[in-house]
Amino acid sequence: MSVLANNHQVQSFFSCRDLNAYYGESYVVQGVSFDIPEGEIVALLGRNGAGKSSTLRTIARANQPALTSGEIWLNGQAMHTMETYEAARNGIQLVCEDRRIIPGVTVEDNLTLAQIAEPIGWDKERVYSHFPRLAERRKQEASSLSGGEQQMLSVARALCRDVKLLLLDEPYEGLAPVIVQEIERMLQEVKKMGITTIIVEQNAVAALKLADHAIIIDTGEIVFTGTAQEVLDNQALREEYLAV
Amino acid sequence: MFDLSINAFFMQLLTGLQMGSIYVLIALGLTLIFGTLGVVNFAHGALYLVAIYLAVSINDAMGFGMALVLVPTILFILGLAMERGLIQFFYNRPHTDQILVTFGLAIVIQELLKWVFGANNIPFAIPSWGNGIILMHEWFPFLEGFVVYPKWRMILVVVSIVTVSAVFALLHWTTFGLVIRAGMRDSEMLQFLGVNINRRFMIVFGLGSLIAGIAGVFGGPVTQVSPEVGMHLLVPSFLVVVIGGMGSLSGAVLAGILIGMAQSFTAYDINLSTIIIYLITVIVLLVRPRGLLGAKGVFE
Repeated sequence: MSVLANNHQVQSFFSCRDLNAYYGESYVVQGVSFDIPEGEIVALLGRNGAGKSSTLRTIARANQPALTSGEIWLNGQAMHTMETYEAARNGIQLVCEDRRIIPGVTVEDNLTLAQIAEPIGWDKERVYSHFPRLAERRKQEASSLSGGEQQMLSVARALCRDVKLLLLDEPYEGLAPVIVQEIERMLQEVKKMGITTIIVEQNAVAALKLADHAIIIDTGEIVFTGTAQEVLDNQALREEYLAV
Repeated sequence: MFDLSINAFFMQLLTGLQMGSIYVLIALGLTLIFGTLGVVNFAHGALYLVAIYLAVSINDAMGFGMALVLVPTILFILGLAMERGLIQFFYNRPHTDQILVTFGLAIVIQELLKWVFGANNIPFAIPSWGNGIILMHEWFPFLEGFVVYPKWRMILVVVSIVTVSAVFALLHWTTFGLVIRAGMRDSEMLQFLGVNINRRFMIVFGLGSLIAGIAGVFGGPVTQVSPEVGMHLLVPSFLVVVIGGMGSLSGAVLAGILIGMAQSFTAYDINLSTIIIYLITVIVLLVRPRGLLGAKGVFE
């Protein structure tokens, strides 16, 4: 099993150890540990409020929730000692829940903002050839894009960084089924690029179709690790932990 | 009282523009700092106070040219030091804490300057090229008879226009400006993209102080050089920021001119002239709580 919980001694490409994080008094990430080998995609699943997004934000070194103890290692580097922007410069890219497109500036400006700090990943021409819709709308005010286009832009923006670990927080949230299919196709392409990824998604089946492995989290703690297929095959497990 | 002649109307327009220019210069720094750092800096008036005292001292000792170079530079450094030494510790504290600490700092600065320079007004010698009057009737043929306006006050208006244009150009035509504008909308997202936004915001604090420095060099001869000037200008300038929309630069410009004009056109009645700014604030906040040009979602 390539996704291992607790006390795994071998240094993986990505590894988090006994993460504990709080929103104020609220204990939202409780001793979470797991490893991911390079190039694999892990679906982090759980009910609403189980602590999935909080875990992603903790790994991305956001100020909130505050990481009180634990270690985060990426490609041999200690991310838990870094500020948010330093973690981003060292390869962590969080594609946020609700997209977080910068309003008041253009689509192209949103991409430019991802290319300010070194090291950068894709140049704009590569982004536009992969996402022709964004090329058409490059001069458009970014917040005027449709939900699907905004999701496209937020993934493209992450690819403009030299990304080693991609964190996708609810990429299908709030999108019409036809748009979800389009974003699924886009994420399948991202998968082919071999970028190590953690995907958090309420739509567990959609996430498991993309992922190699799955972790189920409940009230801030890991309750299951295994292959994506194991979760798809185990209806009792899905009903116990993934029913809304 | 409303039978204004064309000459009187024109003069009040100019006076409003000149009063608005000072408000705009101070409010521009205030709104930049509030928009980026979310800090209500009540010490901003005190920065203007430091600037006018530095300007008058350097002007006397080394001439106006040196004052023009040195005062904004010193204020920029002072702004950086203030942000690093004090303000940064209040980013995550409530606005009331920020107001208390910056207001306290303003009083300390005011009293220190009173201790060093005394409580009386210090005359600010205008350089020879800025002395004298402009014959307005030669420029504007529709004026009747002989109409003059102090040259220095017109220079202040021009300096204000140039400064505002420079700040807008910096914010809209440079990558630094793009980062700042984006940071005003979502600073956390910029950090997720690897941008050290706090370092840029520190520079913005310095920039806000630098603008107070420019305001001090050109505004000192107009507003006088006395310890109360900082506080006298702070309240109207803060209200300009509120009326314009917290964090909106074009809002600050529009509101600054509006307030300057309102005060100038009500100057015939000292009571009305004093309360007009508060009346406008109440009306604007009732009709449009985010201010005239406040962006949706910014500090709403």
